[in-house]
Amino acid sequence: MFSLWIGAYDQGLAYAGLALGTYLTLRVLNFPDLTVDGSFALGGGTAAVLISQGAPVPVALGLAILFGCLAGMVTGLIHTRLGVNDLFAGILTTTGLYSITLRLMGRSNIPLSETPAGILALPDLGLGLDGQWAVGLTLATVGMILLISFLMATDFGLSLRALGNNPTMARANGINQRRGLTVGIAAANGLVALAGALVATYQGFADVTMGIGSLILGLGMVIIGESVLRPRSLPWALVAVAVGAILFRTMIAIALQLGLEPVDLKLATALLLLIALAFGRLRIPGLSADQGRQEQ
Amino acid sequence: MSSAPGLSAPGLSAPGLSVEELSWGHPLPGSGWRQLFSGFSLSCPPGQFLVVIGSNGSGKSTLLNLVAGTLRHSAGRIHLGGRPLHKLRDHHRARWIGRVMQNPLEGTCPGLTVAENLRLAERRNRPDRFAAGFLNSAFGGIHPNGGDCRRYCELLGDRLDEPVGQLSGGQRQSLSLVMATLGSPDLLLLDEHTAALDPRAEATVMALTDRLVRQLGTTALMVTHSLEQALSHGDRLVMLHEGGLIGDWNAAEREHLDPASLRAMYGVAIVAPQSSSATDGSSAS
Repeated sequence: MFSLWIGAYDQGLAYAGLALGTYLTLRVLNFPDLTVDGSFALGGGTAAVLISQGAPVPVALGLAILFGCLAGMVTGLIHTRLGVNDLFAGILTTTGLYSITLRLMGRSNIPLSETPAGILALPDLGLGLDGQWAVGLTLATVGMILLISFLMATDFGLSLRALGNNPTMARANGINQRRGLTVGIAAANGLVALAGALVATYQGFADVTMGIGSLILGLGMVIIGESVLRPRSLPWALVAVAVGAILFRTMIAIALQLGLEPVDLKLATALLLLIALAFGRLRIPGLSADQGRQEQ
Repeated sequence: MSSAPGLSAPGLSAPGLSVEELSWGHPLPGSGWRQLFSGFSLSCPPGQFLVVIGSNGSGKSTLLNLVAGTLRHSAGRIHLGGRPLHKLRDHHRARWIGRVMQNPLEGTCPGLTVAENLRLAERRNRPDRFAAGFLNSAFGGIHPNGGDCRRYCELLGDRLDEPVGQLSGGQRQSLSLVMATLGSPDLLLLDEHTAALDPRAEATVMALTDRLVRQLGTTALMVTHSLEQALSHGDRLVMLHEGGLIGDWNAAEREHLDPASLRAMYGVAIVAPQSSSATDGSSAS
């Protein structure tokens, strides 16, 4: 039974980058970015190809982040330079990314048989491999939260928050909206691609379809985390989002434990998200970007 | 005024504004085209506080938007102290222009704190905050006792860490005004910035407006529908009608204006336009 919880914890942290990326686009930038469906699979595919060919895991993760950033940048440029609607811009990129990821992988599925040496070098806390993954993924998630918190506290981060909160005011205060959106979307997709790479590495395979429904998944994690912790500051919101990812995967694990057939998993996920959305709609007071929109 | 960093000393005027042969129009619903400005010219000398009045649709706010770059002109030139603003996009122009919007909600970020809003405005004139912004941490940002923020702290200094969304309309507009004047912009654009306020808040914001404009010596354009404000604030008053100047009075001439006749001009232009251009505000219609 305990392995169920530690497994859910590990999976939740592997998905934390997806939740954090979704938070950045939806909550901070106020941009519904469908690119995450494509960049999650792109990150997973990139890592799987490189690791399966013997590349060091850090290099594989780094390139996954880079490719994710490039995918996000494409969406940002399509939206800001060509004036394409935000949703369509994301759909266009994601559609293209499917072929790109498939080309990159060479086939639809790549198995990864070996656990990365970096993970095996970590203390296992008496829990075996799951414990080592827990330590590694916790360090990765804490690192992401600290990095994002720091960046959001700089002029750069403040500018991004202003763009999501009130673009008119942001431009009137000298912020380049095109550049800000593009950079922000790129950074968010870098996080999402990292999540894809971590998930592929953790579960031992990458599949070209692994990104389907990622945006909704990330949104559900964000809403669950916000509902539970009710964050009042941005760093605390990032922690809440990571906690939301763990809780979400825990709920999935419980459902499977209770006898849910894997074939019904997507339906259960959709229902779970529906409940989370309804719950969030009723209880979440709204973070900064939402408050701004409602008041305006 | 204290000699805080970034503030212009009183009497040292900012550059003047020059609008030359400006043209701008917009499509009408369905079909057709309305040419609002056609060869419009206006000059505002350095440090002048110019008040713009006119009926709805006369082009007052559009003029401010064209100067700020929110709207792009189809022809003409806009210079601020010799700088060709018409060649720059709005966020570039913001380095020299402070704006206060009509709606208190538009001029601030309600989800950010008061200090964060001030920090955004304080760094308005920095050329590129995405490249250099990583080096500027929030931890060294706005400080209650620092620089230009003294002006703000006189009003709401104990609420720096509260979200702006919790402020009243008048407080927000005061904040917006202080934000617009942080860093001593060369030009201040005030777009009916008291229209959404109650009389008490309006009086507070107008008193603050007068004080800041005088202290900074900033060239200012204020659009208003309030004839009371038009007759009691600023150095010069102009009236727009359908994209053209139909009245132009300096402070001395304004003293002799009859509010009733000025009010009558709002609906119908009772003074024939002499020209669509004016240069220094010395000609009265």
